[in-house]
Amino acid sequence: MTVLTGRLSVLRFSLHWPSVRGRARADTGPLILSALVVALVSLLAGAVPGLMRDTADAAVRDAVRQAGPSADVTVQARWEPDDFTSDGSPGRMRMSHLAADLADLRGRSLEQLSPDLRAALRPPVASVITPTLRFTDGSVLRTFRMAYLDGGDSPKVEWIDGSAPPATVDGEADVPYNGPPWRVRVGLSESAAASSGVRPGALLQVRDERGATKNVQVSGIFRPVDRNDPAWRLAPWLLDPAADADGAGTTRFGGLLTAESLPDARLAFKPDELRRIVTFSPDPSVITWETAHGIAATAITLKATSATSSSLDTAPTWNTQLDAVLRDVTEQVSAARVQASVLLFAVIAGAVLILALAASLLGRRRSAALALARQRGAALPVLGAELLLESGLVTLVAAALGCAGAYLVTGGVAVWWVAPVVLAAAAAGPAYGIIAAASATRDRRVPANRSARRWLRHTAALRRAAAEIAVLLAATAAVVSLFQRGPAPGLPALAPTLAAVAASLLLLRLLPLVTGLVLHRLLRSRRPLAVFGAAQAAASAGRALPVLALVTSAVLAVFALTLGATVQQGLIDGARETVGADARIDITDEASGTTAEVAARIAAQPGVTSVSTAQVIDGARIIADEALVPSRLIIRSGGVSDPSVPALVRSSSGQLRPGMSLELRRDDEPPVRLTASGVAPVVSGAEEIVIVDAAALAAAGVESAPNTIWVNGPGTESAVTGAGALLRSEVLRDRRAAPLVNGLLWLSWASAALLVLLGLAGFALAAAAGAPQRWQTLSRLRTLGLTPRDARRVATGELVPWALATAVGGIMAGAALTALFSALELRLLTGQEADPAVVWPWLGLAVVAALFVAAVPVVVRFEAVARRRRQLAEVLRVGGQ
Amino acid sequence: MVRIRGVHRRFGQVHALRGVSFDVPAGSMVALVGRSGSGKTTLLNVVGGLDRPDEGTVEVDGAEVTGLDEDGLSRLRREKVSYVFQTFGLIPVLSAAENVGAPLRLARMPAADREKRVALLLDLVGLGEHARQRPGELSGGQQQRVAIARALASSPRLLIADEPTGQLDAETGRSVMALLRAVVESEQVTALVSTHDPVMMALADRVVRISDGQVSE
Repeated sequence: MTVLTGRLSVLRFSLHWPSVRGRARADTGPLILSALVVALVSLLAGAVPGLMRDTADAAVRDAVRQAGPSADVTVQARWEPDDFTSDGSPGRMRMSHLAADLADLRGRSLEQLSPDLRAALRPPVASVITPTLRFTDGSVLRTFRMAYLDGGDSPKVEWIDGSAPPATVDGEADVPYNGPPWRVRVGLSESAAASSGVRPGALLQVRDERGATKNVQVSGIFRPVDRNDPAWRLAPWLLDPAADADGAGTTRFGGLLTAESLPDARLAFKPDELRRIVTFSPDPSVITWETAHGIAATAITLKATSATSSSLDTAPTWNTQLDAVLRDVTEQVSAARVQASVLLFAVIAGAVLILALAASLLGRRRSAALALARQRGAALPVLGAELLLESGLVTLVAAALGCAGAYLVTGGVAVWWVAPVVLAAAAAGPAYGIIAAASATRDRRVPANRSARRWLRHTAALRRAAAEIAVLLAATAAVVSLFQRGPAPGLPALAPTLAAVAASLLLLRLLPLVTGLVLHRLLRSRRPLAVFGAAQAAASAGRALPVLALVTSAVLAVFALTLGATVQQGLIDGARETVGADARIDITDEASGTTAEVAARIAAQPGVTSVSTAQVIDGARIIADEALVPSRLIIRSGGVSDPSVPALVRSSSGQLRPGMSLELRRDDEPPVRLTASGVAPVVSGAEEIVIVDAAALAAAGVESAPNTIWVNGPGTESAVTGAGALLRSEVLRDRRAAPLVNGLLWLSWASAALLVLLGLAGFALAAAAGAPQRWQTLSRLRTLGLTPRDARRVATGELVPWALATAVGGIMAGAALTALFSALELRLLTGQEADPAVVWPWLGLAVVAALFVAAVPVVVRFEAVARRRRQLAEVLRVGGQ
Repeated sequence: MVRIRGVHRRFGQVHALRGVSFDVPAGSMVALVGRSGSGKTTLLNVVGGLDRPDEGTVEVDGAEVTGLDEDGLSRLRREKVSYVFQTFGLIPVLSAAENVGAPLRLARMPAADREKRVALLLDLVGLGEHARQRPGELSGGQQQRVAIARALASSPRLLIADEPTGQLDAETGRSVMALLRAVVESEQVTALVSTHDPVMMALADRVVRISDGQVSE
């Protein structure tokens, strides 16, 4: 320790501060450029992981919120049988304790929840909701349901007219089967009463779907104490009539039951028509990306250990789609996080290469001064310490600024993502400086022996080949791992970056061959400027770092740009797949009009160009190879291209294949034989799809009942207003606004822009590094009679191959890299069934290419102006570079 | 061939040339000698049109160099004046033959004539067998020979050589000097050579000494 301290103190006193300051002043430009790169990349790399974490949480919450009631955790249990009487005669028993039973079920359900699941759910609400009834007064299309809600102390109501629904009879009672319809008393909301003109004491004329009359009497009019009470969410139609629910003019009304009238409601319906359900709504605000996995696993366990829905006893059955919702969104988030990592790795790789290029430029510019310092006795560690002090200071200040920005944006900094850039920026400068100083004073001469020189050349070539093979192997391993493991963290996320570096290495090998070939051909030409330009280009084509930095940046910029464009178009296509047209209406059982009527009404609206209908049956029992393949069956008119062969199939599992014989199983009916003749189009939301022609199916004895309407045309939105339609434009808007998609798109554009900027900065640095040599040669050519204008043309000729390699090679290699899109599972973001087709952002690619090509004359002009002040004679003096 | 009259050149406070005047007859070889910093290179640059004097005039083959614009100077360098530098100044990716042929390309000489001329010049400097080799594959003396051949390629009237043996060992330097002397005679070129080398001085027709920017002879 003492020795180390002593050495450090010696180092401190040995540092030559005027040299440190002088070097920093002389090379302000490259140092500022390096600082800018570090600051920008630190900002991006430091902020994005935090933003992704927040975005992931937001996505999970958004998914739960979007899932709505389907994410509810419900407990369902049959009532105790009531098909007995006290005297044994045929009939049913009125059970007065149903509300208490329901409260008991609610309490028991709560106790069964594990702590983590309980923490993610809101307090339970027990409910009993009757089947839908229809008003028979014929005035307007109206439906009616009754509901009993118990959220503990809620929902509370205030009876503003009449009274709360009392029991029809007190206590228990025998009800014969053949008696008149049992009277049920209900309360109506203030608005329902007002819109229907019903007063307390009125009898509602309602029938069930079989036409059986129900005896429902209004006992009072209520006003909710708190309209936002979560319990109302289960039956919002109790508060306000829901108009136009199906687009056919239907209005839904609801009647509130009390603990007293609930037993009467049960008797008004068949024994199993009323079910008691306890509903736990998830609380999106407490669910995070990290807790989502645990919650989903608990929900699955709960479902697996509960009774089945077909159980005939009173054991509770747990049901929820929350696990599926969370599984889908966590898959989506995982993929998006890896996709973001892919882009971050790309930006960091581009930045590291540009920083290395800047450091090499500094090394070149300082080689003479450093050699002089060495000759004056400065030790390499001292020079290294001086350079490290400079680069460390610049890097730390820049990184601190970037990280401060990241902290302001996200409230945290992803240090591990920033570290590679900081390390590269801090170490590259001293490394190149020490190499320059050491090689300037190293007592190693080129051997006079030709075979020794050849041996040295071969050794260097082998070393380089070994490094290139290592990169190629790493890239291959990463690509294979990406295709095998999908978008997973680690090596797969590095695949595009490593592949881009490998492509750059390939181009680095090709470029000298191409420029050499061009030079060889031009030597026979009569154009001296072309020859000199090509000669200059051939001389600089083998410079590894500039080519590597420029091409890698361009390749990754093209990759990011194309990724963004593909996701953007994928969202549009995904929305079309999901909806199937500009709008889709799923006709529910509550609709009073038929599908044909609703379709005809919409078709008559202005701006509607096409309306088509079909029957969509999810979970149709299709038998293929003697195995049951639950599929989505779509029965549509003219939907199959070859009417002689009735089925088109699409199967993600591969169980349904064209050419197979299939069987459609039906309840109490003989099965229908189908022949899979072709491939069905992609249909969102279903993995196994069978599309059959309605007429062919009708010929086989199966009549279809269309339940879905697809609408197209510019006037679609206004035509389907109020019809409960799913609009493509709304789906697209929602998906674009979804946190994950929005975040990834933003990151794609930001990465592309940053990589292009890095590439342009790299071009300027590479040109600057070669400028002394270039203008020295040009000055020599000027002594042979070359004019200044011609000298600029020759300089342009030298830089053009880099620009072309970057623009053309970058775009081509970037295009080849898009083959990795299929492994990145972009469909999870775009909402498509299959991965989106690659979309080429032609304008963006043209701009990228144009920027690199346009950089050549700009750089040459700048260099020429910078050197105009220096006399030709000064340039040609020994050492006067 | 070269008339130098009252040439002054200042670099800030440094007065590099102070009224330099002398003539160089056609076909002669003049050695310019003096200590480092005496103004030799500055004078060569002014004569060759690479630098402009603050005062005075320079005429080369009847053309007033100091009055030429940039295009005129380029033409002068292409047609009348050639240079041989201490650092050779060859283009690394071109072969020896291509380097020698570079001025001829600029003069748009037909390829066949160019190749003949290049072969002749390489033979003249004793490098006929090294025509396809690149500068990196040649020794320092060979590179300087290629540079001399290139300087002679466009048949200049004036050859300016700035310390042509500065980076060569003594023996190689002597052979290069002998070559220069020989080509001056064979090609009828006027040569203005700055040197510290006594051998070169002995080979020159005249030695002009420069001290503190003035001709002291």
